[in-house]
Amino acid sequence: MVFSGTLDIARHLDLASSMPSLKTEALEIPNVEMVAAFFEIDDGDMEGLLPPALHPTIPPTVQFFGMKVTEGPLGAFSFAQVRVGCRAGVRPRGYTTLCFCDSAEASTALSERWGFPVQPGEVIVQRNYDRVQLVAEADGRRVLSVELMDPLPINGGDVQYTASVNLAKASHDGDEKPWLVQVDPDYAVRRADRARPTLHLFDAEAWAAEGVIPVYPITGSYTVSDMTLPALRYLMDPAKNAFAGTVSL
Amino acid sequence: MKFGVFYEISVPRPWGPETEHDVYHNCLEQVRLADELGFDQVWAVEHHFLEEYSHSSAPELFLTACAMQTKNIRVGHGIVVCVPEFNHPVRVAERAAVLDILSHGRLEMGTGRSATWTELGGFGANPDETKQTWDEFVRVLPKMWTQERFGYEGRSFSMPTRAILPKPYQKPHPPMWVAVTSPGTEIDAAERGLGALGLQFAGFAAQEQKVKDYRQRIQSCDPVGEFVNEQVATVNFLYCHEDKKTGIERGQGMTGAFNYLAAQLLPVREVHPSRSYPSLGLLPQVRSAVASPGGDDGAPEGLCIGDPDRIIEQIKQWESAGVDRINFLLNAMERIPQEQVLESLRLFAREVMPKFAEKTPVAVSGD
Repeated sequence: MVFSGTLDIARHLDLASSMPSLKTEALEIPNVEMVAAFFEIDDGDMEGLLPPALHPTIPPTVQFFGMKVTEGPLGAFSFAQVRVGCRAGVRPRGYTTLCFCDSAEASTALSERWGFPVQPGEVIVQRNYDRVQLVAEADGRRVLSVELMDPLPINGGDVQYTASVNLAKASHDGDEKPWLVQVDPDYAVRRADRARPTLHLFDAEAWAAEGVIPVYPITGSYTVSDMTLPALRYLMDPAKNAFAGTVSL
Repeated sequence: MKFGVFYEISVPRPWGPETEHDVYHNCLEQVRLADELGFDQVWAVEHHFLEEYSHSSAPELFLTACAMQTKNIRVGHGIVVCVPEFNHPVRVAERAAVLDILSHGRLEMGTGRSATWTELGGFGANPDETKQTWDEFVRVLPKMWTQERFGYEGRSFSMPTRAILPKPYQKPHPPMWVAVTSPGTEIDAAERGLGALGLQFAGFAAQEQKVKDYRQRIQSCDPVGEFVNEQVATVNFLYCHEDKKTGIERGQGMTGAFNYLAAQLLPVREVHPSRSYPSLGLLPQVRSAVASPGGDDGAPEGLCIGDPDRIIEQIKQWESAGVDRINFLLNAMERIPQEQVLESLRLFAREVMPKFAEKTPVAVSGD
């Protein structure tokens, strides 16, 4: 009896994006600075953090991502994302609870073309000599602050990011409803560092992640890469187990 | 070709007061039958914290029970996690020696280092260090077993000179193996003169090349023990039924359950980028094996499920890929009722094993 998600997606529908089309073309963004920080979370309600299509890992995790983009087709922007680590069937994924972005143009693209639930906010991704910082603010209030202390260089090939799963309203074959949209960007990593993360602040409510309580740091990484946001390949019905509810586009 | 049975000891929820007891005793009953039927080895893994997937956290105790209830079957202690936060090397040497004595010299010693954050994180072990600590363990264990007294100054542990007791019953010491999941570990095994305890479930072509590389490299190895254990074992699933379709359907129920359980685990690679873990470990291999395109009968290549004829065909291909032994998982989440597991073992022994009666003796100890 493997765990299954029990989240009522109505909780996240207000913040879910609306996608006018699922025919998204791939988009390459050069020189993306990316911060990722993973923490184990309290397992008290780990099923309740995920819709029924997904199931938690053991131990359950929260994943903080930050991105700084200085050039490319969407212009300069900074972006932060919170995900709950999970499985879709047997595949490793991260379920997005919410994102913040400081650019209207990028927010619209990420939301409408890849289904990211994006709200306006300020995001700082800063690599100093001795630390990497990821800070996010919304409505003038800090909602996330995480640091990677004393990062050490590692091989870029050792870094692996799993695909995001975003709840979005979209129409597929005339079926207009909330879907889980799988987004699996490709990264050509040119530089990578790794460090133990320290979490200074996480406002779970502001990230639509009530019940996510980080309890134990795992690892953080910082990379510089060329990122390709992909054409969409798969959708999942949030209410069905991924084995039964996955649709190929 | 030799055959063994392999235990993760998977315990399905809901967990009542009898669940773990029943699963353990089902496994023991299977081992007793396997011994009577002529299976050559029983292996039990060491895992911790892996809910439902594996409740085999004290395999040396399970294997002691196996040894006490059987006559001939060899007991495979493996893999033992060679990470000091899990096991001090002295305790590994001592426990193994006792098991070898109690089993009258039937111990096979498997070594490894764990591939999940679920386990390594639980013990506060540094994933970057596990390859080094494994290497250190496999070099000191034979010395602990063969030297009257042993002292050591090393990377992961040091100790003044002491007599590590008792000594194994097999002389100079039991055969040693290493679990092979990450790419290149078969070469690590060969360089040290260790048996390759493969944890791949399918894919003949990839395995054939690994076996070739292993056989070639071991010819010039510098063995960590007193002798070279040149053997290649692989793990597979077994469900054998007179009716092919029934055998495949029930077998796939078991492999699917195993696959889904494995997916819950958190591989090191997913959360901790490290040169030490270039692959996700067991999970993607299981997934690809179980999900790989099947033949006309719908069963994935290499999996030993179906009727005797299909299983014979699969084993012949493993044999031609250079594998010496296959160790079988017999169940997952108790998906197959115990009577059917036992019947599958009997049918396999009756119809399949005779086709692979020993042609060339495989070395099983150092003498």
